[in-house]
Amino acid sequence: MSRTNVIALLIFGAILAYFLSFGPESTRKFKAGVYQLLAPFFSSGSGLQKQLTSVRTGLKSLDQLEREKSALQVENRALHATNQALRDVEHEVNRLRHALNYRERSVFKLIAAEVIARDSSTWWRTVTINRGKRDGVEPDTSVVTDEGLVGKTTTVSDSISVVLLISDENCKVAASVEGSREQGIVSGERVTTGLNPILDLNFLSKQADLKPGQKVYTSGMGGVFPSGLLVGVVKSFRVRELDGQAQLAPAVDLSHLEDVFVVTGRK
Amino acid sequence: MIFFLLLLVLVVIAQIAEFFIPVLPWFYDAHVYIVPVIVFYGAMALPFPFMLALALWAGLLLDALTVQVIGGKVEISMGSSILLYGVLAGLMHGLRPLFARGHWEVHCILSGIGTSLIVLMQYLMIAFRRGSPVFTREVWWQIGGPGLIAMAIAPIMFWFLQWMGRMTGYSYIFERERVE
Repeated sequence: MSRTNVIALLIFGAILAYFLSFGPESTRKFKAGVYQLLAPFFSSGSGLQKQLTSVRTGLKSLDQLEREKSALQVENRALHATNQALRDVEHEVNRLRHALNYRERSVFKLIAAEVIARDSSTWWRTVTINRGKRDGVEPDTSVVTDEGLVGKTTTVSDSISVVLLISDENCKVAASVEGSREQGIVSGERVTTGLNPILDLNFLSKQADLKPGQKVYTSGMGGVFPSGLLVGVVKSFRVRELDGQAQLAPAVDLSHLEDVFVVTGRK
Repeated sequence: MIFFLLLLVLVVIAQIAEFFIPVLPWFYDAHVYIVPVIVFYGAMALPFPFMLALALWAGLLLDALTVQVIGGKVEISMGSSILLYGVLAGLMHGLRPLFARGHWEVHCILSGIGTSLIVLMQYLMIAFRRGSPVFTREVWWQIGGPGLIAMAIAPIMFWFLQWMGRMTGYSYIFERERVE
């Protein structure tokens, strides 16, 4: 091996060792930096993809009308989401009124965001949204639509963020079941194929006996997801050796996400 | 040098493009990966130090754009993909005399195998961290699918990159060919 090759190999090894020594925080910062650097390309790519889709579906309209329609759609969905959030909070408060002191009803503060890219990796279920630190988004913040819970933010750069979907095995959500005292942890499955992923609600009691159609809401435990957000609907229930497990259909159609809302807190 | 810089730019474009290429629902939701094919071509077309630089660049981008930090934990350390690309591209580099003699089909097949190996290694790392290595039929398809797709697109990509090499006056492969 020539001297040049040996030197190249040594430099490669040194850079590799440097990156391998990164901890979670350094990794997060580095990722955020790279995302910020490439943010314009993601936005352009998203625009290009939309144009291609538009041409493919044969739908053509004036730019102005298109923009107005998009703005109205976002506004409409924001109102729906706020409305749904209010209903969810009301449901939770009603359920716990007898057990807890009455708490002041609260409303979520929402930031509207657009999905600009989907996951490019086989093993993580993520989407990229066009809102970041500049807009008040922080890591580990809930993301919802008017239909229910979508996931939580992981990497947040100045202008874009990565959202880990609830269909990912690593996105664990503390949840409670409507009409029962059952509580458990919702998570996605490692490998899902097809357009409709299934969520697992684990650590239920064996006597839970959940019925298809029962709604599952976030319980608020764990601190990441506020309580009262609709997660999904029970499809089936089975008793395992140590606990009960329910399979859920997500409340949100995760395969066709366009507009989402980041929950920055409660009013 | 121009060709090398073009490959670096192409890797960035391909890495971003992968975010916008939908999965193939009729093929067990297999992802389409273009970057490994470019890196493996670079491994054959570039001298050793440049091959390492390309592997480093591609691995860094892959880690920065796909690896997730969840709840203060990193499942795949930054740099893992650099190592993977480095090793696989190194192996491919060793087989470059075959490519110079015109046996590109071997490298197309190896590009597919290499792509699947990257996905497999990622899976093994996350399975190790999560503590439950599950190997269902779907898992194997999600690993093998991208490799088969890479094999299918490799001839077109190789032809395009070869053409680009000629356009930029890049002559490394052809010089070696003459020597051998």
